[in-house]
Amino acid sequence: MRYAYFPGCSLHSMETAYDRSVKAVSKHLGIELWEIPDWVCCGASSAHSVGHLVGLAIPAKTLVKAEKEGLDVLAPCAACWQRMVWVNHEVNTSPKMKEKISKAIEEEIKGTSKIFSIIDGLAAVGMEKISHAVKKPLKGLKVASYYGCYYVKPPKVAHIDDPENPQLMDEMMKAIGAEAVDWPFKTECCGTSLIFQDLDTTLAMSKKVIEMAVKSGADVIVTACPVCEMNLDMRMAQINKRFKTSFHIPVVYFTELMAYAMGSTPQEIGLDKGHCGETKSLLAKIS
Amino acid sequence: MSAIVNLSQLHKDHGDFAERVFKMSGQDVRKCYQCGKCSAGCSVHIFNGMDVSPNRVMRMIQLGMEQEVLNTRSIWACVLCSTCTARCPRDIDIPRVMDALRIEAKKRGITQKFKNANVFHDVFMNSIIKYGRVYELGLFIGLKLKQSGNLFADLEMGVPALINAATRLPKFPPKVKNPDEIRKIVENCKRIEGEK
Ligand code: SF4
Ligand code: SF4
Repeated sequence: MRYAYFPGCSLHSMETAYDRSVKAVSKHLGIELWEIPDWVCCGASSAHSVGHLVGLAIPAKTLVKAEKEGLDVLAPCAACWQRMVWVNHEVNTSPKMKEKISKAIEEEIKGTSKIFSIIDGLAAVGMEKISHAVKKPLKGLKVASYYGCYYVKPPKVAHIDDPENPQLMDEMMKAIGAEAVDWPFKTECCGTSLIFQDLDTTLAMSKKVIEMAVKSGADVIVTACPVCEMNLDMRMAQINKRFKTSFHIPVVYFTELMAYAMGSTPQEIGLDKGHCGETKSLLAKIS
Repeated sequence: MSAIVNLSQLHKDHGDFAERVFKMSGQDVRKCYQCGKCSAGCSVHIFNGMDVSPNRVMRMIQLGMEQEVLNTRSIWACVLCSTCTARCPRDIDIPRVMDALRIEAKKRGITQKFKNANVFHDVFMNSIIKYGRVYELGLFIGLKLKQSGNLFADLEMGVPALINAATRLPKFPPKVKNPDEIRKIVENCKRIEGEK
């Protein structure tokens, strides 16, 4: 299996734990990643609010490079992934938009590469193969899989799984020996995109997600979105201060747990220092 | 918002508004039958981030309340999470409507209600036009200089969290071979959108 890899800005900046763990899991599973040379920012979350066409054309520029290589894309950032899925949707349903995008990027876009998120991209190898690759099953670890909003909605365009109760990430957590906690806020929005304007609403939305995961008995929240991860992890102390709570649940990428279970060390994948919150309790539980 | 609206006057002056929104967004808001499902699941609305609930935004478009709807906070507060779209029995993609209204409001210079968010969009676009990728440190400094509000709000995150975040932040702008690419695309788009 070979994907055109589109890491996006977050994974090359603060969220290296995501980038490193995605690469590590891929290696453990025999997936080859070809990083798209000179990829540019996908434009989220601003370009599409500036103009519809510009919001499609910017990610199309990177997508076209994968098309030329004849590869499907793997985009671990939820925002990058969704922007590209929108491009394909428009290209494949509107010949007029296809022409406009091609004009804007000065080359032809065909819409022939499939866009995989990290969730369905990894799940595509099969749960059996995933559990075969495990060296250290994460027995007894209770995991709340948090999908966020981007991966499953809107269901007609961008969805990899059921929009209300997705299962793929839970299945993968079970495949590495962990226990998948059944909880109701898997796809609720964490509210990050409001952060610069309305911190109160963002914090209230994030608190609700963390609170529900804790109440459901989870030891850890795993995400597949750098925006959710950064927000929930980095703002937890702030949430505690605001709401007089004492949450200290670690928030990490699901790929970190997978890579770890498959034999990577915490140092290799950033599970030690890649987060604002404490991961020591988590490491103690799984080592 | 004023409690009394003159429906016949609105119809006379802005009766085609729903049609124009349809053209801008591809979404036919006239189909909305006000079940309220969109608002019931909208977290932003539930946590008081909107001044007008999503179903009322739809109704205002139907009634031709053009000025009023373009002046709401809600069109900017929507986080485009699409929870409402997934549940709307009339198959309306509500965030696409919100996005179209934003673009329209921005065109008309109505951005006061969400000034900081608009500054963010501008600074963000400038950053990627300049570097081809996001340069967070530059973005952050640009924002702090231009946004109004509490300069020290981030301190509330706690010192350990801030230090960890700061050490992970790259100190130099990203290097791409083709930093000009996005600028060209943005210019091309303006030209193409202007053509039609
Ligand atoms: S869910 Fe759809 S039909 Fe119901 S009020 Fe909202 S937009 Fe209208
Ligand atoms: S897309 Fe916007 S209106 Fe719809 S549920 Fe999300 S925040 Fe609310």
